[in-house]
Amino acid sequence: MASLLDALVTGIVYGGIYALLALGLTLQYGVARILNLAYGDFLIAAAVFATLLYQRYQLSPLISLVVLLPASFVVHLLVYHLVFVQLERRRGSWRAMEASSILLAFGLSFVVSGAMLAIFGGQLFSYSYLLVPIQLFGSVVPANRLLALILALAFGAFAYLLLVRTRIGTAIRAIAVDPDGAPLAGIDVRRWAGFTFAFGGLICAATGVLISMFQTFNVPMGVTFTLKALVVVIMGGVGNAVGALFAGLILGVTESFVARFISPGLTLAAVYGLFVLAVLTMRTGIFGRALR
Amino acid sequence: MTSIARVAVLPVLLLLTALVPFAGNDFYIALGLSILLNAVLATAWGLFAGPTKYISLATAAFFGVGAYTVGLFYERVPMIALYPLAALIGAVLAVFVGLTTLRIQGMYFTIFTFGLAELIRQLMTWYQRSVTGSVGVYIITDITARQIYWSLTALLALTLFGGWLLARSRYGLALLMIGEDELAARHSGVRTTAVKVVVLALTSAIMAVTGAIVAPRWTYLDPNIAFNPTLSFMPAVIALLGGMQRFWGPLVGAVPLVFLFDQLNARFPTTYTFILGVLFMMIVFAIPDGILGLLPKLQQLRRAAPAPAAPPASLSAPLEPSTPVRGASPSVDGMSSPTRSPSPDGSVLLEVQGLRKAFGGIVAVDDLSFTIREGEVFGIIGPNGSGKTTVLNLISGVYEPDRGKILFLGRSLAHKAPEEIARAGIARTFQLVRIYPALTCLDHVVPAALFGGHVRSLGEARVYARELLEELGMGQFIHVPAGQLNFIDQKRLELARALALRPKLLLLDEWLAGLNPSEMLIGMELIESLRGRGTTIVLIEHLMQAVRRLCDRCIVMSFGQKIAEGTPEEVLAHPEVVRVYLGETDDA
Repeated sequence: MASLLDALVTGIVYGGIYALLALGLTLQYGVARILNLAYGDFLIAAAVFATLLYQRYQLSPLISLVVLLPASFVVHLLVYHLVFVQLERRRGSWRAMEASSILLAFGLSFVVSGAMLAIFGGQLFSYSYLLVPIQLFGSVVPANRLLALILALAFGAFAYLLLVRTRIGTAIRAIAVDPDGAPLAGIDVRRWAGFTFAFGGLICAATGVLISMFQTFNVPMGVTFTLKALVVVIMGGVGNAVGALFAGLILGVTESFVARFISPGLTLAAVYGLFVLAVLTMRTGIFGRALR
Repeated sequence: MTSIARVAVLPVLLLLTALVPFAGNDFYIALGLSILLNAVLATAWGLFAGPTKYISLATAAFFGVGAYTVGLFYERVPMIALYPLAALIGAVLAVFVGLTTLRIQGMYFTIFTFGLAELIRQLMTWYQRSVTGSVGVYIITDITARQIYWSLTALLALTLFGGWLLARSRYGLALLMIGEDELAARHSGVRTTAVKVVVLALTSAIMAVTGAIVAPRWTYLDPNIAFNPTLSFMPAVIALLGGMQRFWGPLVGAVPLVFLFDQLNARFPTTYTFILGVLFMMIVFAIPDGILGLLPKLQQLRRAAPAPAAPPASLSAPLEPSTPVRGASPSVDGMSSPTRSPSPDGSVLLEVQGLRKAFGGIVAVDDLSFTIREGEVFGIIGPNGSGKTTVLNLISGVYEPDRGKILFLGRSLAHKAPEEIARAGIARTFQLVRIYPALTCLDHVVPAALFGGHVRSLGEARVYARELLEELGMGQFIHVPAGQLNFIDQKRLELARALALRPKLLLLDEWLAGLNPSEMLIGMELIESLRGRGTTIVLIEHLMQAVRRLCDRCIVMSFGQKIAEGTPEEVLAHPEVVRVYLGETDDA
């Protein structure tokens, strides 16, 4: 019973983080229409920086956030305008662009992870921050995890309010629904799609820093994070923030239970299992491809 | 290069390749192995991704599965049986991936393949830990590097030959159509999912066999070697560099890139992945059509002549006027049996009962019923947004109705996919033309004839398609890419594609819209000639002039409901119709 509760609490903590993880990607994919396969690698980059700042300068990850989030925003803005916009200029049709942009993102993931591999290799990163046990519903949770969860939910809520309550958010949602119609309402699609891509990158970095607070990681793990983010996005529905929250929780709890009661080696299999379920139960709309 | 020279070059090249181990030392064999390995993987990858534009990122998964087939079973199963076994396992895995994700849009396929190698790597690690207790296996065989080299050469030859055959078959054409416009392909009767899954399975089997052949080279195999992500990456780079849609592409790409990466790996082992990524991005950016894609451009520059833009992979290379198979070369007349006459009291062809379709809160079609008899031209008219096109999409299988029945020749069309409905004899055109700009006119019509099921061979289909196009006045455009046609000819081409299915029922969605007045007359005459031959036609139309002239009977729709039915004269005089079109009048 106690282990059941432990698994559930761990699952919920991870689930909250996964929801945030997916939120950044769903913004990038749903609005900027870029399937960012380098997402997990950027996440690891933020996590590595947070670790280094903590280890070398005793900088609390909370302070790292202040530095790393704007940095990630700028980097992603540059990537969007210097890489993807340029690609779109060179290709006429979106259809031709789509295949190329996936390949480009795939290349980008090798560039980002390759750069980190060149510097750090496959070494494991971790640091002990706020390793204080806290009693929660009869289960013991380290304070760092709890803080990560709370921050994740706070970031998520902030992003959600930005999308729903502001003029910018309205413009962004308009682009998500109809990128061709949005300019007719006076929305600068290029500009706000870029902003959203960068904002997704900011959330990506935030997730990375939060994960670094309690989990051991290394550079090759980027792929797994990209995949988990994608699966949550698909389960929750592209561009659906509330869907991402629920899907993230489902993924987190499933993973935690599989790891605890079956085998930790099968967590990715569990992720794929959810993926297959999500895809098979999806309505197969034939126009899906044309309309997205 | 003529096709005969092309056919001759390959065996010579392969023979020379096969001779390398006799002349060279171990270094050349190792390098040759690497080139062959990557050439096979890239060719197999390109066979599927090239025409369909479905990007698979899981080459390493299939390769690794093949390698592990050998690693786990070589002590118990003879080597010669392991290759087919690896192929089978690779194909089964591909079928699973394909059936899961290839029914829906391409993005899911790419995402699924993106993590597949990592998934299988972890599963393998888990399996070995929990079953054998140690990760990794030793493969001790007496297979030499030369034998591996020759096996790979043979596999490359086989793959190239298979690709050549595929490109010349109906399925090659089907793959191209899928890449250009999948929905239009389905309405031409192509079973798109089946075609995609089968080709994916075949190419994945080749990747698995490659893994099985190469496995003994390693003596020690662990999941990190077998499922190395670089293996998913290299084929894509190579195929892209050479030119994804071209037969020679992967071969042309493999040689320089393997040399380059070999050097890079030796000199910059730590920054290798990084450089790989940068190079890849540069290739995607700078040469999207690959090295071979640059050649026609260079030739154009040199000749400074307006050489016709060669369609990337047109399959109907100039076909010499082959002996026409008269018996099997149906003309437009053959579309319907000559005994049928255009009489409005023919037997019932299509029956629609209580049809309803809602999108969210909007009811696009509401409790609609009508009957279409053989030989009549049936009009569906109504203001914009009244649900006309939705009716057409319901009949042709794009949507499933929420309620109601559609009976075609007395049989229900419920749960039938567009391609099944097309094969059953309902053809359609699209409101906004859906052609494949890069494919020639002939390549539009041939598959519809083939997949429609009334023509047996590709040769017969070509003859049939040629005649059909000529009959529609498009004889001079047979080898012209459809993107270069003007609007009426694109519409005519769509009609030809629909007619090539030899439909019992033809659905025309605002086929006359957007034509200028003289084109319109030509268009109406064309429809009249079809009608004169007894083809049953459903016409969605805004032009009352056309409705009056062409339709035997019509219904008027407004907000998803039928508000009038009868001959055009009756219907257009109906007060409700007048109200819907012109608004309330004072004296009404």
